[in-house]
Amino acid sequence: MTKVLVYIEAQGGQVTGTSLELIAAAQSLGGTVEALVLDADPAGLTGQVKGADTILTMADAALSPYLPEAHAKALAHVVAERSPDVVLVAYSSTGLDLGPVVAVKANRPLVSYCTKLAIEDGAVVAQSQAYGGKLTAASKAPLPAVVAITPGSYREEDVADRAGATESIAAPAGLGDLRTRFKSAQTPDPDAIDITQCDKLLCVGRGIGDADSIDIAREVAAKIGAEIAGSRPVIDAGWLPKERQVGKSGNKVKPRLYLAVGVSGAPEHLEGMGSAELIIAVNSDAKAPIFDHAHFGTTVDLFDLLPALSERLGGG
Amino acid sequence: MRVVVVLRLVPDLTEELEIDESGTDIDREWIGIKLNEFDDHALEEAVLLKEGSGATVTALALDGEGVDRMLQSAIARGADAAVKVEHGMEHIPDQRTAAAILAGAIKELGADLILTGVQTPEDVFGQLAPFLAAHLDMPTVNAVGGVSADGDNAVDVRQEYSGGMSAILGVTLPAVLGIQTASQPPRYVSGSKLRQAMSAEIATLSGADAGAATGAEITGLQEPERGDGATMFDGDAETVAGKIVDVLNERGLLGG
Amino acid sequence: MPDRPILVAVVLAAALAISGWRFYRVFRPVLSAPGEYRFDELWERFVGVLSNVGLHKRLLKIRYSGVLHALIFSSFIVLFTAILQAFGSGLFPGFSLAPIGGNTWIAGAQELFTVLILIGLGMALYQRVVIKPKRFEGSNKLDALLIYALVFGVVATMTLEFAFHIAAGDDSSAAWRPIAATIAGWLTAAGFSGESAEAGATFFYWAHILVILGFLIYIPGSKHRHMFTAVPNIFLRSMKPKGTLPKADLDHPPIGVQEIGQFHWKHKLDMLSCTECGRCQAACPAYAAGQPLSPKKLIMDLRDHMVAVDHGHSDGVVDLVGGVISEQTLWACTTCRACMEVCPIHIEHVPKIVEMRRTMVEDGRVSPLLQDALGKLQQYGNSFGKPPRQRAKWTKELSFKIKDARKEPVDILWFVGDYASYDPRVQRITVKVAETLNAAGVDFGILMDGEQNSGNDVRRVGEEGLFETLAQSNIDAIAACDFKRIVTTDPHSLNALRQEYGAFGGDFEVLHYTQLLDELIGQGRLKLARGEGATVTYHDPCYLGRYNGGFDAPRNLIAKAGYTLHEMGRCRENSFCCGAGGGRIWQDEEGITERPSENRIKEALGLGDATLFVVACPKDTVMYTAAVQNLGVEDRITVRDVIDLIEVAQA
Ligand SMILES: Cc1cc2nc3c(=O)[nH]c(=O)nc-3n(C[C@H](O)[C@H](O)[C@H](O)COP(=O)(O)OP(=O)(O)OC[C@H]3O[C@@H](n4cnc5c(N)ncnc54)[C@H](O)[C@@H]3O)c2cc1C
Ligand code: SF4
Ligand code: SF4
Repeated sequence: MTKVLVYIEAQGGQVTGTSLELIAAAQSLGGTVEALVLDADPAGLTGQVKGADTILTMADAALSPYLPEAHAKALAHVVAERSPDVVLVAYSSTGLDLGPVVAVKANRPLVSYCTKLAIEDGAVVAQSQAYGGKLTAASKAPLPAVVAITPGSYREEDVADRAGATESIAAPAGLGDLRTRFKSAQTPDPDAIDITQCDKLLCVGRGIGDADSIDIAREVAAKIGAEIAGSRPVIDAGWLPKERQVGKSGNKVKPRLYLAVGVSGAPEHLEGMGSAELIIAVNSDAKAPIFDHAHFGTTVDLFDLLPALSERLGGG
Repeated sequence: MRVVVVLRLVPDLTEELEIDESGTDIDREWIGIKLNEFDDHALEEAVLLKEGSGATVTALALDGEGVDRMLQSAIARGADAAVKVEHGMEHIPDQRTAAAILAGAIKELGADLILTGVQTPEDVFGQLAPFLAAHLDMPTVNAVGGVSADGDNAVDVRQEYSGGMSAILGVTLPAVLGIQTASQPPRYVSGSKLRQAMSAEIATLSGADAGAATGAEITGLQEPERGDGATMFDGDAETVAGKIVDVLNERGLLGG
Repeated sequence: MPDRPILVAVVLAAALAISGWRFYRVFRPVLSAPGEYRFDELWERFVGVLSNVGLHKRLLKIRYSGVLHALIFSSFIVLFTAILQAFGSGLFPGFSLAPIGGNTWIAGAQELFTVLILIGLGMALYQRVVIKPKRFEGSNKLDALLIYALVFGVVATMTLEFAFHIAAGDDSSAAWRPIAATIAGWLTAAGFSGESAEAGATFFYWAHILVILGFLIYIPGSKHRHMFTAVPNIFLRSMKPKGTLPKADLDHPPIGVQEIGQFHWKHKLDMLSCTECGRCQAACPAYAAGQPLSPKKLIMDLRDHMVAVDHGHSDGVVDLVGGVISEQTLWACTTCRACMEVCPIHIEHVPKIVEMRRTMVEDGRVSPLLQDALGKLQQYGNSFGKPPRQRAKWTKELSFKIKDARKEPVDILWFVGDYASYDPRVQRITVKVAETLNAAGVDFGILMDGEQNSGNDVRRVGEEGLFETLAQSNIDAIAACDFKRIVTTDPHSLNALRQEYGAFGGDFEVLHYTQLLDELIGQGRLKLARGEGATVTYHDPCYLGRYNGGFDAPRNLIAKAGYTLHEMGRCRENSFCCGAGGGRIWQDEEGITERPSENRIKEALGLGDATLFVVACPKDTVMYTAAVQNLGVEDRITVRDVIDLIEVAQA
């Protein structure tokens, strides 16, 4: 039976959603799932882990706050101890720190940018996003292996509950002997908005008609966790502040979701958002150029659609 | 402080990528190449360190087509020296192999701090910075958004996490950093400076052995299914709203 | 009075010394400035002085100001005789202009021009105090008023001196001086005669002399220096083609001007010659848009800084580039040349701005947007960041196969340009140009992916190194082809190929496509179906019109296609820039209160009957289409390229 070790990452005392997605991925491989929690005091986190057959914990003062060096040593140690067939990390800052290092130390292949994973004939068979998502790469790597999974590829909701006995592992020697030190943490200023850093944007164009109508767009944006942005005419009209302008003379954005409402898709606008991962366009004119660049589109009037969306998204 | 910044040329994604006959690689014959965007930031950070604390900066790259020019541009940007590493391979298959070859050259050069971009569009089998760190037995920090010198023998780095969180970590050198963004956007280098740098000398080193292959291989490249233009949702507002919510759900874009 | 000659000599010598010293102090930076050759084409230069000074060609474009200047200017020439007489007679008793008519027609002329100068002064005062044209904003008003007072003093004291002479009964010119004679009548009535009148005459003689000398002493520090510098400044103007910028020596940095001292002497003479008339400011689209750029203020600030540095008063004065002249000011310029076209003394604003931009570019001080555009130009040879191989993609829409001029000889080599090749709004126009040329049986081809951005705007942004790289690559590509003439769609490319490439070994005959079409119609090779005859207006692109004199061909085409042209007030040389030139299209719009393009569309709407806004430049299509969208006036006016009006008649 395949044994999968999942590295659980935590942020501010919380297990991240991405870690639970990894458990979903691990379960999909069909074997046993071991979740590894590294922390000064793992007990606070183990309760948040679900879907693992075993929760491995390692407690050591050096393990929190997160230090790449400490976690790499610890993870390499656990991999050597437990010899899992597959080690799963997220393709995130921590996964970047740990995956390749452990792969070299344990002399295993690594597959990164992975969006889909299976095991066939003693090898991991993976699909990865390559070339900025322009191509999909299918690959094969012999077991045992390390895989870095792109966040959002699996769903936390798909995790099936499992018993999850906890087992603690002793910290390896020399874990305290580090060349890296934690100095301070920074949280983002909630008031400063930088739409280039946003994951999701809802952009309103001149089709929105006037400043007041933006409220319904705001409502939808809030429900999907998006920031509001605008095309140049909307900014010019003073309906939104300049820092929310998308386009040639505004900001170049690359969010995971770009919902364009009442935007025609002039070249200067496209220049600012054309490489968004998912573009959904709402425009009553079926010939609007935005549709040549959107992945999904609809010609339903925005004043009908936005309320409908808001309703569908519920209390959100 | 001796800073080595590793630079790589990658396919230019503004062009249309074509898959070659083998079906497992892109057609590299016609594709445009450019400096990896994150390496550009790594170079900027290196030059900022030089300006801020008198580090020396060596730009390092594996030999290949267009590499001379890239290294010369790095000199125009402020690098003190440029070195290319010979490897005798036609095409470097992945970053892990690149790390093995480069590690030898870096040992020979001697470096306190090694910077490179956090990723390239081709890193299906892993990223360079942590591979280098493993080969050189140095600590590594990735997704770095700024480095500053802390005395001669240490740096403070800002590591970025999702949701806009970040932490400042102190790292005693030597170390390898995977840079995501430089403390300041990469500067503009004028055409006249680029022209001047065209005559800059590039030193050559030979790389270490690539080591044994890991057995991982690409079995096929594919264009993701996506037609030209948008998939249109028809129906009344409620129906369309439902379909949009479904798409968002499918891609994990709702909640969390 | 035996001691008068000595006294006059002493006073004159002292005044001349002070004035001379003051002049020297002001002009010292010019004397030590880097060289520049401006002594060619002497006859042309002379003719320019005649028309600009003698005939007030540019000044009269603003009628009121032109007339008042002409009055004061001509009067000064005539009144010079009075000054000559005053000093001549003061220094050499017995000196007199009488033998050549000093008491007859010269006296009469002096009287006449006294009246004219007073009218001129009255008009000037009225303009300064009552009309207050906006172009004077930022000019030194006190200086102007002081000068009016001094000029008034000169003529008033002169007239009073003559009047007292007449009252004393010893002026033989009385018959030719009706005004002085009338005043003399009043003086006599007031009891002046004989000795008391003589004393009055002496008093006003000295007053006259002292006012004149005061004027002479004051002038070196005043904008009225232009009395002395205007003529040389015009004479020494640049005779290079309008669209040619000075080269920078890339092998010998520094490139561009970082410090005031690096401006060559003519630039400095410009600064000292500015009259603060503000005509440039009134014409400037950046100023109108609320940007922190006034070409007048720019020249004044440079001048004040230059003088301050020279006098050692610059302590604490920050850098020139980014300090004295802010970066935002420098980037605001569209290089439209409107300022240079109207400046009555031919000051060259654009080259100064570009020189300072060069410094910013070399220092890497460019905005993120501009950096993005320049980076794309470095990498791809176009500002769109599109692969070169896609440059000729638009040709897929053609009904015929276009020739690759690199592979076969052509009559016409068409340099298509970036916007015409890559922007989807303009590609339609490009296709139509191609189809029209094809219909007219023109043998033409393009460079395909061998073409790169012409570099016109790159050069104007101050990126000289990149410009040379682009220019060289294009020149090499063009030189390898077999062709007779080059045609461009883009006026900016037209300017680069026609006026800039020559200095890099690319001497070509280059026309704009409107010129070629006009020529084809003239030769009967292209026959047009007459259109529906709507009323349209036409916008002269800066780089087609002002820079390259292409005013008539587009108008001919509009007429021949059957449309009625309703001109906007600002047309031809006075056209108002769309705001895209000089690399502005790559910059952000911070600080703009009204986009020039929207200002312009409003002007067109103001005509009342023009339903089409016709342009002849791809960037105009882009700028004005966006402006019409932004103003939400799509139902009232539509932006069209000239080519859109052209329908080829079916044979
Ligand atoms: C140098 C330059 C720089 C520029 N920079 C930028 C920039 O940074 N960002 C930018 O956005 N633009 C920029 N522009 C302007 C650009 O060219 C366009 O004018 C602008 O993007 C149009 O904005 P829009 O799509 O909101 O408006 P429009 O083009 O007017 O589009 C409105 C759309 O809304 C649709 N619509 C109307 N009512 C409804 C309804 N009830 N339901 C659904 N759909 C509806 C219409 O069909 C239409 O397609 C720039 C232009 C220039 C020349
Ligand atoms: S060239 Fe045009 S924009 Fe520049 S200063 Fe002169 S008038 Fe103003
Ligand atoms: S630069 Fe020329 S137009 Fe402008 S204020 Fe001076 S003299 Fe007048």
